[in-house]
Amino acid sequence: MRGNTNKIVIGVFHYLDDLLANIESVKHGGYEYKVYSPMANPEIEHATYPQKSPVRRFTLVGGIFGCAAGWALAILCSMDWPLRVSAKDIVSPPGFFVVGYEWTILFAALATFVALLHFCRIPDIFRKLGYDPRFSDNKFGLVVSANSGDAESIKKHLLEHGAEEAEIKDAL
Amino acid sequence: MAKTSEITSELKVDYARVTELVLNMLKPPGSGWYALFFTCVAAFLWGAVSWTIQILDGLQVAGINHPIGWGVYITNFVFWVGIAHSGTLISAVLFLFRAKFRMPIYRLAEAMTVFAVLTAGLFPLIHVGRPWLAYWLMPYPNERALWPNFRSPLLWDVFAVSTYLTVSATFFIVGLIPDIAVCRDKAKTAIRKVLYSITSLGWTGSNSQWKHYMSAYLFFAGLATPLVVSVHSVVSWDFAMGLVPGWHTTIFPPYFVAGAIFSGVAMVLTLIIPLRKVFKLEEIITPFHFEGMCKLILLTSGIVTYAYATEFYLAWFSNNQYERFQFWFRPFGDYKVAFWGMTFCNCIAPLSLWIPALRRNITYLFIMSIIINIGMWLERFNIIFTSLAREYIPSAWGGYNFSWIEVGITVGAFGWFGMYMCLFIKFFPSVSITEIKEILPPPVRSAKSHAAH
Repeated sequence: MRGNTNKIVIGVFHYLDDLLANIESVKHGGYEYKVYSPMANPEIEHATYPQKSPVRRFTLVGGIFGCAAGWALAILCSMDWPLRVSAKDIVSPPGFFVVGYEWTILFAALATFVALLHFCRIPDIFRKLGYDPRFSDNKFGLVVSANSGDAESIKKHLLEHGAEEAEIKDAL
Repeated sequence: MAKTSEITSELKVDYARVTELVLNMLKPPGSGWYALFFTCVAAFLWGAVSWTIQILDGLQVAGINHPIGWGVYITNFVFWVGIAHSGTLISAVLFLFRAKFRMPIYRLAEAMTVFAVLTAGLFPLIHVGRPWLAYWLMPYPNERALWPNFRSPLLWDVFAVSTYLTVSATFFIVGLIPDIAVCRDKAKTAIRKVLYSITSLGWTGSNSQWKHYMSAYLFFAGLATPLVVSVHSVVSWDFAMGLVPGWHTTIFPPYFVAGAIFSGVAMVLTLIIPLRKVFKLEEIITPFHFEGMCKLILLTSGIVTYAYATEFYLAWFSNNQYERFQFWFRPFGDYKVAFWGMTFCNCIAPLSLWIPALRRNITYLFIMSIIINIGMWLERFNIIFTSLAREYIPSAWGGYNFSWIEVGITVGAFGWFGMYMCLFIKFFPSVSITEIKEILPPPVRSAKSHAAH
């Protein structure tokens, strides 16, 4: 990261290849940046965030917890009220498997949802650094954090390399 | 199955056009929408009044009695749970298989899933007669030290259906977030802007958000897939765990799962064909998408037909007189109309979809989807009524005529479901904007340099 980044440069792109080329330039320059796109794109993902998402750890922990909780619920409730039904064992693993199975999925899904909110930093209705409504429609955005001295040169670079528009704003 | 290139070559739209087409659906409704919505509300009110009468007068007003204690209510429960299945199938299973024909239809299918599970969930409450005691099904500490019976398939149902509702609703909401952000950015009135800003949770579509989103989406799909299989398997065990002739069979879980997908895909067709016409979505819902769904119908119809035949074969091969009698009673007994109706609708009529021209005839597909929906309702009727009407001892045999209360509640369920669908279509994007954009070729300045990436 470069010095005191008190400015952001917002580049608006129509073409994906222009955006990808500029991402490489910005990365090469060592600047902090953020990319906005109207949809998920594997090429942007590869260029900006090639490592695996940590969401999977939440899913695993949620699933293990749910499985244990489901089995525990069925076993402990049955042992607390030990009424034998249809000659089945008080603790009947084949029947309790269903409860454990369903809760494995339930808690894994809920943990995944929590992870999604946590890592995507949502809900956050008001803070949108350099966001432009066109980025959800048909344009790509590249927002570069820079200091006052570099901002102009970055803007010029973006405009020369395919950006339809580029503007400098104060960083929040 | 159609290749991606075939589908994208049929989609003659760009990103902006996709946004425009889908958001056109959210414009203020016309008289047709109001007519449909208030018809659904009227149907729902008929059901609500019928249920109120049943609560006030007791279950005697329904036709269910010994020996047929599971009547239209449980038929409706299984029917609506089945309808709910294809939503998750289309959104999750086909996502894992990278079946591109799901893109324009999966949102509506997911909405259908959530509203169909809500509808299905009403019927056990209606059926028990005293719905204010339904919370007894939940395991909670109480002064009597009683716990529900975890060895009962009916309790497994509680866990399976409630999990299915929670997970499918979560999956549905997660899928909606980026599209609601598009609505927020395009909103023209302040009230819409505020509402969509809140419900989009501040989504921006940044690179890190998409990364975690896609990862979470993959896990949701991976988790929902075994759930699809398990939920209708558990519903089938409500029957298969009993010793009633015609029910006690190991073929039920795969048979029910295939039947659920079959009926669910048909219901998606029933909903999406008028929607496509009314909102002029021909540019993004093309014949390729209908082809994909028709092939799924053909596959599941084949499985269901095979299951019907296997039931008859096993009844004969078992040499068990009760099973043999049950499977004679179904085609030739008191409810033979339901059996032959089911056979025609689920086994014979769908065979016409082997003809490619019919798979692309939208009017024909709409009629076929209605036929399949009727057939699948008759299938559940056939399983439940005929088996209970002819159990082991002739002195316990009986019949069943449903009452107007049951008719009212059945019609009311369709109204309840239709009411939610109407509201959803007008307030949220019924076609996924972001996922359609994903399958479109991205705009590139130089195709050559892009290919090198």
